[in-house]
Amino acid sequence: MATLTLERVSKIYRQRRRQAVHAVIDVSMAIQDGEIVGLLGSSGCGKTSTLRMIAGFEEISQGVIRLGSRVLNQLRPAERNVAMAFEGYALYPPLTLRDNIGFSLLRDKGTKAKAETKVRQIAELLEIADILDRYPPTISGGQQQRTSLARALVRSADLFLLDEPMSQLEPQLRAILRARIKDYLIEHRMTTVFVTHDQTEALALADRIAVMEAGVLQQLATPHELRDRPANLFVASFIGEPPMNIVAVRVERGPDGLRLTAEKPGGGDAFAIDLAGAGLELLAAIGDRQRLQLGIRPHLIEVGGAGPLKASVVSNQWLGDQTHLGIDIDGCLLVAVADGAIAAPLDSEVRVALPLRSLHLFDADSGAALSHGLEPALRGAA
Amino acid sequence: MSFLVIDGVSRRFGKLEVLRDAALSVERGETIAIFGPSGAGKTVLLRLIAGIVAADAGDIRIAGESVVGLGPEARDVGMAFQNFALYPHWPAFENIASPLRGRGMVEADIKQKVQQVAELLRIAHVLHHLPKQLSNGQKQRTALARSLVRGPQVLLLDDPLRNVDAKLRYEMRLELPRLLRQFESTVLYVTQDYKEAMALGDRVGVLQGRCFQQVDRPAAIYNDPRTVEIARQFGDPAINLYPCRPVPGASGAGVEIFGVRVAVPDRLAAMVDRPCLLGIRPEDVRVELTAGPGAFPVELDAVTPLNVRTALFLRSPDRQEILATCSESEGTRFGRGHRPVFARLDAGKILWFDQATGERLRPAA
Repeated sequence: MATLTLERVSKIYRQRRRQAVHAVIDVSMAIQDGEIVGLLGSSGCGKTSTLRMIAGFEEISQGVIRLGSRVLNQLRPAERNVAMAFEGYALYPPLTLRDNIGFSLLRDKGTKAKAETKVRQIAELLEIADILDRYPPTISGGQQQRTSLARALVRSADLFLLDEPMSQLEPQLRAILRARIKDYLIEHRMTTVFVTHDQTEALALADRIAVMEAGVLQQLATPHELRDRPANLFVASFIGEPPMNIVAVRVERGPDGLRLTAEKPGGGDAFAIDLAGAGLELLAAIGDRQRLQLGIRPHLIEVGGAGPLKASVVSNQWLGDQTHLGIDIDGCLLVAVADGAIAAPLDSEVRVALPLRSLHLFDADSGAALSHGLEPALRGAA
Repeated sequence: MSFLVIDGVSRRFGKLEVLRDAALSVERGETIAIFGPSGAGKTVLLRLIAGIVAADAGDIRIAGESVVGLGPEARDVGMAFQNFALYPHWPAFENIASPLRGRGMVEADIKQKVQQVAELLRIAHVLHHLPKQLSNGQKQRTALARSLVRGPQVLLLDDPLRNVDAKLRYEMRLELPRLLRQFESTVLYVTQDYKEAMALGDRVGVLQGRCFQQVDRPAAIYNDPRTVEIARQFGDPAINLYPCRPVPGASGAGVEIFGVRVAVPDRLAAMVDRPCLLGIRPEDVRVELTAGPGAFPVELDAVTPLNVRTALFLRSPDRQEILATCSESEGTRFGRGHRPVFARLDAGKILWFDQATGERLRPAA
């Protein structure tokens, strides 16, 4: 096991007579020994190119990748001591699942019996133990994916790379397999980088998540931090299900301090939020901006009680372990989430609070975060 | 009498029997979410109602009148599809207006109707755009507007939110109920997403194995499922299930599990010594750092944050796996896991099933 560092790594695909594509731009990150990091983003964001550069399937256009003290740039994939599970599974059709999983163990040191035990253990963990003697073409896509994952996890390597490892898993198995895999990775202190477009998977598995967009690393942080302190509007609206509510606001300065007036999507004013209680630090973060984007996560909107805002209930959807409430505040549609059921019939009026401590403010043009709650976003950034 | 009645409808395609004796009654103005795995016959059912496909047997009645034998255009049924199915060479306006054309409606009325529905769906500003100039969300709204514009008595929506991004899906999930109410349509809404089914359906029809397994309010489907399969499909993470055999005891029957004895309700006395399934939903397992009444020791092996809630992966002394969920703020107490904790089951929330039939062992009504 070892630490993995990327120093200002870029991937540029140059094509004849066409413009070069900058798939990965200047990405730096340090991944600790035993840490699990997810590369998360939509298709084309550069996450897979990054993973393939680490694995050695793509040339590193610029920058340096190190694993422990070794520079990987010039090493062939087989020389890197990296185990990878491919998005397309890449199983050997003429081999049984048992041999697909076990063949890489043959060249590792250790007895045959030991290898067999390892294969059985990982197969049980991934619920393919009863089909080990079958061949890849005869099993479902989800089972093939689990086999490919088993083949990577069973190895001893310095680094584990998983490309969309759970995209095809059967929905009822997903949560339990995610938990077992995470347990396994932690138990064996496996340094792991995985790629996913599914934020639920990223949040569940990763110690830290690298959110990527347009080839640029937007933020590398723990799931908790991504939700409480998103670096910019992109991260804020990408993470979270339902996503964060985002409203355009105008800053008004009066004798008592600042006021934020929300603007309806079609024009006109909606509700206002008084920032009279805001400290100097927050005021400094806002500066002399006239317009901002205001964000609040759905489950931090307080519904019921004696909130200062009036809202009408547009929808009230109980989903078993949580309730999603659509609320209309003066023409602004927001979504609120609560853990239990809420007694609020459609079209009824509820009182709502958007607590200052739960508000995020972003620059209207760059989208950079200015503040989270009452604290400036740049706290400790230096 | 119900407004839309599907009465013992069957349909096969060659050797493949898709629907067998499927029955469903829908009240006027009601939204029924039809939920089932792919291939369960959801789309075929919509096509039968629309009149695009004919049933082999059974009757379909709208407002008391059988529509069997009537062509699609005579049925007053609107339909929207998951792939939008817009005419690519027509602007959004003409796409939406298409169901009104050829009905002798004057141009000014068509314009007014299209404008009205476009405003409700917030696409009035893109009416002159061709489909290729529209975003996915706008395409989907255009398709929805087309199905609504004539104000059909019955509206069939075939997984309309499947191909739109997460943000838009949530937005539409919130807006749709209000919109549908304005049109007073009776709606059948097909989806493979149990959350969408619970969110949008006044009632949910679980279509599986060629017919409806349960048609009920979302809360009843979730809390009072008829079969173990239904219990497994509603809820994420899925319900924890454990094969067990109740044994008699001094203080009544019980099962030995998790290193403790869990009492079996009296009504299950007949199940003693017979294979059962104990089901407990993740949110009905409480996890604490310290021991308490009714709590048993477990190892917390992984903490996997979900959206809004956090899943805790537990292993009991008898090596059973348990998934529990807690609120996000509670979840932060457990760190990265790999520590001993205590779990407690909410006994009143345990669901018991007959392992042989998969049927729920329900309390007597």
